[in-house]
Amino acid sequence: MVMARVGQEAPDFEASAYVAGEGFKNIKLSDYRGQWVVLCFYPGDYTFV
Amino acid sequence: MAAVAAKYPELKELGVEVLAMSTDSRFTHKVWNEDELSKMVEGGVPFPMLSDQGGRIGTVYGVYDENAGVDIRGRFIIDPDGVIQAMEVLTPSVGRNPEELIRQLKAFQHVRATGGAEATPSGWQPGDTTLKPGPDLVGKVWEVWKP
Repeated sequence: MVMARVGQEAPDFEASAYVAGEGFKNIKLSDYRGQWVVLCFYPGDYTFV
Repeated sequence: MAAVAAKYPELKELGVEVLAMSTDSRFTHKVWNEDELSKMVEGGVPFPMLSDQGGRIGTVYGVYDENAGVDIRGRFIIDPDGVIQAMEVLTPSVGRNPEELIRQLKAFQHVRATGGAEATPSGWQPGDTTLKPGPDLVGKVWEVWKP
């Protein structure tokens, strides 16, 4: 398995998503090639921070 | 999430897209956004909320906690070539600082705009002195920059 590391290409993924105003869709990281992306993981909906 | 959402207009100006991800389903994302986040930030979270059920993606990014079954707080800056330029991983109880995220983005964008000819010292803000790495700078950083 290729792990994420700084200075290396970000491992591509596809995931189902909710987008406000658009509804549900699938999103691939590689669809964003050509622009800056901030990918934020967080522990869960309805958590406090 | 709400804190990043509040900074979204500034991030958009920098040409940055945000992708948020947790192990919740897309259905839970929708309800959370409509129920609660929209009360913290007008309109709710304006960027995609992705579902990483099972932690498959979090595992690859080194942020999946198998015991808790959740992705811990991990933030990755990915450049237009798809290369990870920065990562920050925190345990769940401490939130991120979106101001520092924006500072880092501006610094990485500046370095990229110079083709790597310039580097930004600690705490750099736009307009501050940059460093131009090369043989002439060796041992002379003190002449151009102090903390």
